[in-house]
Amino acid sequence: MNLSFIPADMNWTCQPCGEKLQPGMVELDYMGNVFRVELPVCPKCSAVLIFEDLAIGRMLEVEQLLEDK
Amino acid sequence: MEQKELRAWEALCIQEEPPACRAGCPLNVDGRSFASAMAKGEWSSARAVLEKSMPIGGVIARICEAPCEQYCLRKDIGGAVALSALERTCVENAPVRRKVFRLPARPKKVITVGGGPSSLIVAFDLAKKGYPVTVYFGGEKPGGSFNDFPEETLPQAVIEEELSYLEKLGVVFNPIVNFSPDCIASADSIYVGQDDILPETLTFTIQNPDSETFALAEQGWFTGGMSDKEHRYQLITNISEGRQAAISIDRYLQKASLTSGRAALRNGKTKLYTRTDHIPSLQRKTPASTTGYSRDEAIEEAKRCINCQCLECVNHCQYLEKFGAFPRVYARQIYNNSAIVKGTHMANTLINSCSLCRQCEKVCPNDFSMADLCLEARQTMVRENRMPSSAHWFALEEMYSAKTEGSLVRHAPGIEASKALFFPGCQLGGIRPEQTLRLYEHLLELQPLTGIWIDCCGAPAHWAGREEAFAGIIQQMEKVWQEMGRPRVVTACSTCLKMFRDHLPAVSVESAWGVVAEHVSVDGAPLEAVAISDPCTARDDTETRAAVRALLKGLGRVDAPLAMSGQLTECCGFGGLMDCANPEQARQVAAARVAQTDAEIVTYCAMCRDQLARTGKPVSHILDLLFSDLAHPADERPQSISARRVNRRQLKSELLSRYPAEEQAGKEAWEALELIIPETVAVMMEERRILEDDIRKVLYAVANGGQRFIHDESGLEIASGVLGSVTFWVEYKVEEDQYRLERCWSHRMVMRREKA
Repeated sequence: MNLSFIPADMNWTCQPCGEKLQPGMVELDYMGNVFRVELPVCPKCSAVLIFEDLAIGRMLEVEQLLEDK
Repeated sequence: MEQKELRAWEALCIQEEPPACRAGCPLNVDGRSFASAMAKGEWSSARAVLEKSMPIGGVIARICEAPCEQYCLRKDIGGAVALSALERTCVENAPVRRKVFRLPARPKKVITVGGGPSSLIVAFDLAKKGYPVTVYFGGEKPGGSFNDFPEETLPQAVIEEELSYLEKLGVVFNPIVNFSPDCIASADSIYVGQDDILPETLTFTIQNPDSETFALAEQGWFTGGMSDKEHRYQLITNISEGRQAAISIDRYLQKASLTSGRAALRNGKTKLYTRTDHIPSLQRKTPASTTGYSRDEAIEEAKRCINCQCLECVNHCQYLEKFGAFPRVYARQIYNNSAIVKGTHMANTLINSCSLCRQCEKVCPNDFSMADLCLEARQTMVRENRMPSSAHWFALEEMYSAKTEGSLVRHAPGIEASKALFFPGCQLGGIRPEQTLRLYEHLLELQPLTGIWIDCCGAPAHWAGREEAFAGIIQQMEKVWQEMGRPRVVTACSTCLKMFRDHLPAVSVESAWGVVAEHVSVDGAPLEAVAISDPCTARDDTETRAAVRALLKGLGRVDAPLAMSGQLTECCGFGGLMDCANPEQARQVAAARVAQTDAEIVTYCAMCRDQLARTGKPVSHILDLLFSDLAHPADERPQSISARRVNRRQLKSELLSRYPAEEQAGKEAWEALELIIPETVAVMMEERRILEDDIRKVLYAVANGGQRFIHDESGLEIASGVLGSVTFWVEYKVEEDQYRLERCWSHRMVMRREKA
């Protein structure tokens, strides 16, 4: 799995933190399989943005792959 | 599944059995593939089919008496396909395909006494296997009766070509005058080919051989070529005897059993079932020339082959067709799927896409049940904890919702004991809540002691293979029914009816349509014809199917023909949770179903109504005809997944309001949140199985100061929330007190921010 998923548009600000999102390392876990990936994250509260293309694209693909393992 | 069980499943599906022509060919020539290649004018591939099973094809294809034709299923619909004449056309138009290929030489020597047709086959088959073969031929040259054919039937050049091929395989031809007792001593096995002129001076006598192996009493001696001139298929029978003897000689020389595991000649016997009642008669093509078919004539004749297949189930079922094979293959794939320890379970989608509708059982000559096969596989997957959690997730969530926030059981207001309990079914309540209430009122008029029980019968848990959960549901339902005083259950859903009958045998249950039909009288002249699409769960319920027809007749409707109805009926795409596990296929199933009739469709299953109406075809529910003032337009779009939830809650609330003494649980705070949902987003929600409830719950947290992301330029906001095993995301704009939805998505992966 490519380790970095940063959208072209990073003009997002976390509310109520007021912090701009920055690339940050996140653990994604599905059925006990853990992936370390870089995603947009709020530097203050650590909230992660899973953007649509990722969720319905690569992420769904990996979910289905793991479900059939 | 144990291997023994797999074998039993495989044995039921006879699609791989040979077609009758092949079963009737002593050389096992695949007449079906041959005709198929000929019909396309592919002479060379047709010749390759022949040569695969036919030794010295150039000769045999010209003179075979074609016993296959007596078994051809075309026989009674225009005459058997002229395979014999087609074989001749083939070899006349295509050069020899086979290469000189011989297995590594073996030390054991074989001699044939005689050089007639059967001896040449023995030489051909054994030389290819690497045995050195010497043919002692009678007469002037090898070939015996092959040399008696007129030149135009079997040219000498063709015989010579085949003999020279045999020589290239290492076969040595020797006139029988050179045969001596020393020859016998030097051979490891001897074949006596009686279809040649053998000199009377030969000192041995031939007894009757074993009829299967053609072995003589003397060790290592075999014989064949014994058919006389009276035999209708003399030549090919002699050739067949040669082949059978060659099999025996090979086994003998390898010190193997002559009989163990040996495939017997089928003599035309096959289990392959082929339906021919729909095939129009077409007369056999007569060649214009006495020398046989021209190329065009041959193509025309070959096209008469009906390409014998069973595929009864596959031809009727979109699901079986989409996966590209037939049940015998699927059984193996499913068996392999459960045997995998590491690697991808390739058959999960196959297993979860079956509607469990059981049409295949009805059309299969051996009652093969994909439903049993798939349901059992699902149960195993659940037990072994390898059922993909997303496969049936949405349906199971909907079931639990219907069983909690959407469920209610009460005696009729002011009544303390029920004689009957109306169980509409959760989908009827979700799709047609007002009609559900009206039907209840109607039933109350007929029997005032009718209570109400809105709930889900647990079918989704059963279909999903969740045995434990389903057993719990059934137990709970039985308890509720006991507590209500064991009344008769009246249901408006064929699936519920089947679940009660199959899993709650103590409960006396009947169809609401049967109850209603008894009290409907013919009113006015018949209106337009309607095609009745029976739900798949009514397949074996002749009583309900008849009641619905009586009811429709009473309502003045004429029953339009629909080929696959009654016990052959088809699923709408929802059954067995197909719609959940394979929505794309469910759409195809519904489209194929509605394409079967031009008439307006009426069904008596709420889910069938919505699944079929999704295609755009007008489809009515029987309640639209029964209560015309509450009728929904036949072309109305299906209820959304969100509306079904809301409708169930409202139905429950409406029913509860009839019991003034009872306090209703208030609405959840998030329910009041106002959403603006553009059409594009509504479609997205439906496809992605995201409910308004889910979005309201996420946005309710935002409204109360929860975390979200705001776009610096557009002002769009994104918020998320984890609900059960799924994380839901919504992109929206706040407009005063309302939320205008832009997009929504979800995922099942769990995210954890790493600690800095």
